[in-house]
Amino acid sequence: MRILIVEDDPSLASGLARILEAEGYAVDVAGRGEEAVGAARGERFDLVILDIGLPGMDGFEVLRRLRGAEHRVPVLVLTARDTVSDRVHGLDLGADDYMAKPFAMPELAARVRALIRRSQAQTGPKVVHGPLTLDTVARRAYLAGEPLELAAREWAVLEVLLGKVEKIVSKESIIQAVAGWDEDLSPNAIEVYISRLRTKLERAGIHIRTVRGFGYMLEEFKAR
Amino acid sequence: MILNMADASLRGQLLRLLLLPVAAILAVSSIAAYYLALEPATDAYDGSLIDAGLALADRIHVRDGTLAVDLPSAAEQMLRTDKFDTIYYVVQDPAGKPIAGDSGIPLPPADRRPQDGSIFYNASYRGSKVRAATLLTPCGGQICTITVAETTRKRDRLVREILLGSVMPQALLAVLTLALVWFGVARGLAPLERLSGEIRKLSPRDLRAIEPAQAPAEARPLIEALNQLLVQVEESNRNQQRFLANAAHQLRTPLAGLRTHAELALAQPLSDASRAEIEQVHSATVRIARLANQLLALARAERGGRVEPHSPVELKRLAEGAADEWVHSALARDLDLGFELAPASVSGDTFLLREALGNLVHNSIEYVPRGGHITVRTGTRDGCPFMEVEDDGAGVPPPERERVLERFYRMPGTAGTGSGLGLAIVREIAAGHGAALEIGDGAGGRGCRVAITFPHG
Repeated sequence: MRILIVEDDPSLASGLARILEAEGYAVDVAGRGEEAVGAARGERFDLVILDIGLPGMDGFEVLRRLRGAEHRVPVLVLTARDTVSDRVHGLDLGADDYMAKPFAMPELAARVRALIRRSQAQTGPKVVHGPLTLDTVARRAYLAGEPLELAAREWAVLEVLLGKVEKIVSKESIIQAVAGWDEDLSPNAIEVYISRLRTKLERAGIHIRTVRGFGYMLEEFKAR
Repeated sequence: MILNMADASLRGQLLRLLLLPVAAILAVSSIAAYYLALEPATDAYDGSLIDAGLALADRIHVRDGTLAVDLPSAAEQMLRTDKFDTIYYVVQDPAGKPIAGDSGIPLPPADRRPQDGSIFYNASYRGSKVRAATLLTPCGGQICTITVAETTRKRDRLVREILLGSVMPQALLAVLTLALVWFGVARGLAPLERLSGEIRKLSPRDLRAIEPAQAPAEARPLIEALNQLLVQVEESNRNQQRFLANAAHQLRTPLAGLRTHAELALAQPLSDASRAEIEQVHSATVRIARLANQLLALARAERGGRVEPHSPVELKRLAEGAADEWVHSALARDLDLGFELAPASVSGDTFLLREALGNLVHNSIEYVPRGGHITVRTGTRDGCPFMEVEDDGAGVPPPERERVLERFYRMPGTAGTGSGLGLAIVREIAAGHGAALEIGDGAGGRGCRVAITFPHG
């Protein structure tokens, strides 16, 4: 896994590099936009962490060039400017996620993992979350190497949660993702599926947290 | 003209300035008119006195060597008859002895010399004021004296008529002039009153230029000067705004570096002492970052969000969008953060409204003890959109509820690391959206509920 950090502040860049290296990624650092565009053209990265406020060519321009060259590499935008227009602008141009400076290290690490996992899920058949593996082609699930029985609806709910680890998924969006065209699924039914999933996954240390009145959140897996 | 503060009324000044000259003109012109009209009239009356005297002169005869006045009673009757006044007369022989007429009529003052053979004078006779004429006439080769006097009723009446006829219209004219000034000033100043209304509508949030078209030409330079000042104030506001925003933004990147390195250090094996030190650095960094955000929000809220024009904001979606960040902070402090979100549409600045709700949530996260509950609500009550945060922490006692809204004020004995800016910012933002901010008790009288309620529909 290879990550390109585009950040002109050397202290922040070196800190980020060390965090990500500690997580097991190979990290390259570019201090200028032009440099970043050149690097991305020459080599394959699994993720670009892009600061918007760069000297010379700014982050927006870098993003435009990356997308213009049809790079499908996920981009996590960092910004010190948090006005709404900046955010919208960043996402319009095809950034996959953004974080406002300053940020907490665990949150950054979680976002990086989620982005890489998501881009792999689009390219590969397997979704991995700690001891849990979903083979989306064969539609089989494994927990710590053992086959795991999941009903169709349970599978669908779990897939939605796995797509957004550490993020709240509203009940409504689960219903939308799970229900077929002609079905009316009640929020209570979702609670039943979640409860069944918990029974099957809790013992392996995989936790689904309830966010009262809103939805659910699959927590980051932490090995004990 | 110097306007001093004790008497800054234009109307008062103008009236005072006009009153004296108008009164003086009135007095002078009245006196002039009085005398101009009085003299010819008095002359005419005086002339008729002389006529009466001359008629008497014709009647003086020398009979048997003595002087006598031969006046039949019918003729005397005619002489004495007048519509208004009583007429008296006396005829004296050259020695001064009365030979006919009324006795005791006062004589002219001794120092008066006759002019055209007669002397006119004022005197008092039988308890009335009289006007008298004395004339000298030849009688039997000598000089006799005839005095005719009449009461002054006619003349007094004439004076009254002249006063009424000339002074009254002038006095009326003067009063009318002053009244016109009084109302004219009010009317003339009405555009200034409207202008004041326009200026009153301005606020630091809204420094529109004032439209000079509806003001009188004399007030336009004032408006133009004011508009220039407004432009300068606006510009200076914008500079201050830009400076604060830039400063806050510039702080963030080094803070991000500092925080990252502190967290990296904490991830390494450390002695307890070093860990405690670095944790201090880390928490200070987090605090500074929050403060930078708050200053940024405050700078922006003070201008009422005019940087970004107000646009439709769905409060439910706004809360959902920010929920991730809040839930992680709440979980880190072992708090249950829940949501009761119903649709609520308002017009506003998304960034500021998110900051306001975020400040309320962060306050609860900061001050509610571990294991507590926090609920974020959006929706409409009595047709008014609202967003609120309720918790079951220690709450805010009623006497403190006003003070906690002040900048940098923190309740006595408050734990945690807040700056005391959070609620002040919320108040600014609420005010900028015309919304009411209310601090109350939580459910069942426990904890705290802070609600921002927007105007109807």
